Amino acid sequence: MTEFRKCDLLVDGVRVQVIEAGKGKPLIYFHGAGAGGGFDELLPLAEKHRLIVPVHPGFGGSDDDLTISSVFDYVVHYATLFDALKLHEPVDLVGHSLGGWIASLFTIFQGHRVHRLVLACPAGLRVPEHPGVDLFMIAPEDLPSTLAASPMVLAKMTQSEVTVDMKVARYREMTSLARVIWERSCDPKLDRWLKHVSVPTLILWGEQDKILPVQQAQCWADRLGSGAEIAIFNGVGHLVFLESPGAVKRVASFLKVEAYNRLEDPNEASE
Amino acid sequence: MSMPDRLQFYLMHFMPYPDVVPGRAQGQWVDIPNTHFDPEKGRKLYKEYLDELVLGDELGYDALVVNEHHSTFYSLMPSCSVIAGALIARTRQARICVFGTPITLTYPHRLAEEYAMLDVLSGGRLECAFPLGTGMEYWVNPLNPTNARERFRESMDVLMQAWTQPGPTRFDGEFYHYKYLNPFPLPYQKPHPKIYVVGSGTEDTVQYAAEKGYGYSQVFTPIAGQLKSFENYRSTAVKHGHTPDSESIIISAMPYVAETEAKAIEEGRDHILFYFNNLLRANSQMNTPPGYLPIDRLRRRLEAGVFQGSEITWDALTSVYRTVLGTPDQVAERIAFWCEQAESSRIIVHLHVGDMPHWKAVKNITLFAEEVIPRLRRKISPELKAAE
Repeated sequence: MTEFRKCDLLVDGVRVQVIEAGKGKPLIYFHGAGAGGGFDELLPLAEKHRLIVPVHPGFGGSDDDLTISSVFDYVVHYATLFDALKLHEPVDLVGHSLGGWIASLFTIFQGHRVHRLVLACPAGLRVPEHPGVDLFMIAPEDLPSTLAASPMVLAKMTQSEVTVDMKVARYREMTSLARVIWERSCDPKLDRWLKHVSVPTLILWGEQDKILPVQQAQCWADRLGSGAEIAIFNGVGHLVFLESPGAVKRVASFLKVEAYNRLEDPNEASE
Repeated sequence: MSMPDRLQFYLMHFMPYPDVVPGRAQGQWVDIPNTHFDPEKGRKLYKEYLDELVLGDELGYDALVVNEHHSTFYSLMPSCSVIAGALIARTRQARICVFGTPITLTYPHRLAEEYAMLDVLSGGRLECAFPLGTGMEYWVNPLNPTNARERFRESMDVLMQAWTQPGPTRFDGEFYHYKYLNPFPLPYQKPHPKIYVVGSGTEDTVQYAAEKGYGYSQVFTPIAGQLKSFENYRSTAVKHGHTPDSESIIISAMPYVAETEAKAIEEGRDHILFYFNNLLRANSQMNTPPGYLPIDRLRRRLEAGVFQGSEITWDALTSVYRTVLGTPDQVAERIAFWCEQAESSRIIVHLHVGDMPHWKAVKNITLFAEEVIPRLRRKISPELKAAE
């Protein structure tokens, strides 16, 4: 299997880490509000693509950018980063959770840079009838069971002791997240703006998601200009790719060069 | 080191709602169901608490102090200006101290207006202290903790401009934009009431107060850390051309006075413990929202085990903090020592604490005024040194 290679990049004077694997057409992955766990679960996507995972400023191995105070600031950041990476042709873009919010906004305002879009349990849409949890209030001891539903992933998350370094790293990432979503963990305007997404879009959701309820999937699909395929994964929580290799496969099949045929996947519930 | 000669006694009240909800490890803040509030009980408590402060005015305390917290049984004062207004109407001599509304929780020009009203209403008896607000306030107010410090400073700039520059003026900041900054009325005292910054020991808050020439007061934290902050404050203030004196720093203490030491402990101890272990308690998520603490300070606190959540012990309270229970002589001695140690002539005393009943608060406030304050006013440096 391929392995990740890391490099640093200066974007508007801020050093960010970019993780890459594989060769081929670029596939950009915008991660969620935690970059501490690595992204090995995504490596199957690097078999046919050049998988690029830029780490958001304020997360994981990237430096802080204190001027970023909105999700839109991240969109501007990524427009600059795409230039720096010389991504001149439209790319396939995958976003998870916070990264899904950034990816959808990026597609709305930088649509010419996006070929196809995958949103995995994206944040950002205001759905009063199915609201998400207050991510900031979750006690450290409750975090694994709130994030994940898969027993195997849960066991892995709870087996090692939580060190001071890990607590400090999480506080830093939560601070970066709070900078953009403390006042409101959604953007009411996204509701109207999503119709400007005109590329083929796949929406993935864990049926057991406790952070953002699975009912939000249809709300996204209803608002996207291009409509969307929805794939729901049974027994899976918010960490949809980590918990479900089937979800990764589903992305791979959606991003096959010529066709969007769905793979047979026993893990996937019918919609 | 010598005993500052003109001691000033600030009688402070937290106005708690003592019927706490049991079995809440996370404490009595933020998400505590407000259905536990009984308005009749609230009315009775407001009356008793105001009576206690009014008694303080009659007994000659130099100042009466109120402050502000939100969505908590810790305090019945989500607006300290409202209580200050009630106090002004019922008092004659004591200065009224709003210590105070976190300026970031409201519009800075609005706080400039409210405090100016209080100063004019009281004929210039107002003193103001500006806290950043506990971490808990950020969960229940539409306010981002990640830029709270920057917003605090800009808000203070707005308030000072509003009070000191002839209006209307213009203000163009990161957080606020005023085309016509023009508060009416303006403060009674010129150029403005005495201003303190309230901190918990974070270095840049101490330095901010010192640089600006504001006074500094630290919340109830271990004495050793406070003394370090005060030293830092004084040297920074001097560097910036200010001359800090014994009035620049306010210290605070929890005394309980009775006929004998045994009686003081019997009557006072449990209420003070109740305050720490029930009212003040909040879990680490609530007291440290993301971005509220600088990352290096968070690391130091984690390494020191500050968030372990264990109950505070009586030994710690009486050795590490300024808590003293005893006879007038014993209490006076301790307070004299603390004032001398901190080179401060201004001391906040919390004489109603926790779930203390009205009669004990009245007793404590009276004995402190009639027995302790005169002893302290008589004390001079050589005697004190002999006593130590």
